[in-house]
Amino acid sequence: MFTRRSDLPLDKDALSRFLPWLIAFMVFLAVLALAGMLVLNSTAERWDQGVSGTLTIQIIPAANPEDDNGRLQKVLAILNRTPEIDHYETLSDDKLLRLLEPWLGAQAGTHDLPLPRLIDVELKADSKLDGETLSRRLAAEVPGASVDDHRVWLSRLVRLIQTVQGLASMVLVFIAFATVGTVVFTTRTGLAIHRSAIEVLHLIGAQDSYVAGQFSSRALILGLKGGIIGLLLAGPTLFAIGHLARQIESSLLPTITLEPAHWAALGALPLVVALIAMMTARLTVLKTLSRML
Amino acid sequence: MDIDDNKPIVSFENVGLRYGLGPEVLQDVTFSLAPGSFHFLVGESGAGKSSLLKLIYLALKPSRGLISLFGRDIATTPRRELPAMRRRVGVVFQEFRLLNHLSAFDNVALPLRVAGAKKSDIQKHVVELLSWVGLKDHLDARPPTLSGGQQQRVSIARAVIARPRVLLADEPTGNIDDRMGLRLMHLFEELNKLGTTVVIATHNSRLVERMGHPKMLLDEGWLEIVGGRAPGESQAPAHKKEFSETVLADTFSDVDDDAPGAPPDFEKLI
Ligand SMILES: Nc1ncnc2c1ncn2[C@@H]1O[C@H](COP(=O)(O)OP(=O)(O)O)[C@@H](O)[C@H]1O
Ligand SMILES: [Mg+2]
Repeated sequence: MFTRRSDLPLDKDALSRFLPWLIAFMVFLAVLALAGMLVLNSTAERWDQGVSGTLTIQIIPAANPEDDNGRLQKVLAILNRTPEIDHYETLSDDKLLRLLEPWLGAQAGTHDLPLPRLIDVELKADSKLDGETLSRRLAAEVPGASVDDHRVWLSRLVRLIQTVQGLASMVLVFIAFATVGTVVFTTRTGLAIHRSAIEVLHLIGAQDSYVAGQFSSRALILGLKGGIIGLLLAGPTLFAIGHLARQIESSLLPTITLEPAHWAALGALPLVVALIAMMTARLTVLKTLSRML
Repeated sequence: MDIDDNKPIVSFENVGLRYGLGPEVLQDVTFSLAPGSFHFLVGESGAGKSSLLKLIYLALKPSRGLISLFGRDIATTPRRELPAMRRRVGVVFQEFRLLNHLSAFDNVALPLRVAGAKKSDIQKHVVELLSWVGLKDHLDARPPTLSGGQQQRVSIARAVIARPRVLLADEPTGNIDDRMGLRLMHLFEELNKLGTTVVIATHNSRLVERMGHPKMLLDEGWLEIVGGRAPGESQAPAHKKEFSETVLADTFSDVDDDAPGAPPDFEKLI
């Protein structure tokens, strides 16, 4: 694939042989790390947006089921009187069962088990109302009603995700450094064996920019080749991971998707890496030439 | 670049050269070459012939002294203007220094490409010149697949393709027999007749004596010019031939392969 003229072993220099594969490998890793980070990023964002302005009110079933409805109405009356609340929604038994499915299994029937009533409450965007205040207000009038403030555990979860995200960014930064280092080093090593050719071009009367251009365009092509291979290898890997994630996905996990902008960022990686290879080749050759008269 | 035909094309004044902290391999070298002159540079191995040529083709800076090329002091010429001067100096390197990853065609085309010549011109002149040196069937061959003699002809073609004002050859007869060496010399003489200033480093004294050109004699870093004719006198040797098929055919007829084609039209180049 990389040996256009396989009749000559001389053609298979270190630059043409190793650069594309090393770049392919680094791009592969970088794509995976970047994809992971982007997924975490959008997940954390969605969770943050989706749940931080909400509370859930739980009404434990009373000993006497007939009372339950009355208690629910009392709670709703209090909610109506509370100005910080944007809107609320009482969860139907069906929805409740679906939510409980991961823990109870699909077979759990409505009648086997006294279900609590759940009310999803959405607070107004700038609301200062916290779960505890509302909880005290409710408990005073309706025993057995309690408030589950998502923000408490959610903020912990978001913090966890952010930590993982931070780690992923660090890994990404390391991979970026390693990629740059590898590309720079391989390009330089590859050019070392062309030193004599560089000198000949120089002595024939080539301007520095001409000589540098010869090598940098070659490095660009080799870098692109490697980058595209890396991307092609990373693509199926990403899809496989995405597929697995969807299989284990339950109502607990938000959907893991990449947006078009993210795909674009991943697709741009080979180009970025190829440009690094090109700039390195250019600077290396110019440096070599600057030592000549 | 304007070149004054009365000024020396190359001139050295008290030039000294040392490699690193080593001893001076050239000491107080002073000479000048008139445009259109033909010199042999002779001396024992290690006398400094290659070093002297390197100074002329601007591969090295002298440790001291003054070198001017085409009437310009090299030390005060801005670096970016040196490539244009190098393009007017053709060099047949001692080890040929062909680029192994390029075909014979591309090797010979390099000086024209570097000078920004038109693609169609490059195609025409390179094919012409390579046919002329008997390599018409090897345009696409890479140097490592060519014989030593063929590589040498590629390197000569590369040195003359851009019609240089100065032609330097470092031991071009080093690895060929006397008869072939003599033919090569005739080729250089033909180029010389077209106005090219020629300097040939060699330690083949028989060849030098036969040709009767002035000698630049190097001995342990000291240079002395001996023999030859007074400056301005014609350098043309006794046998006068046109730069024509006859000469070319004579030069490379029984070398091998293809029949030589028409001589390249040097005047049209660059
Ligand atoms: N690159 C170099 N570094 C150090 N010494 C060198 C180098 N090139 C040549 N020399 C020394 O300079 C002297 C002249 O060498 P050279 O010019 O190659 O002579 P010639 O071409 O006449 O054989 C020799 O003593 C050689 O060892
Ligand atoms: Mg030598």
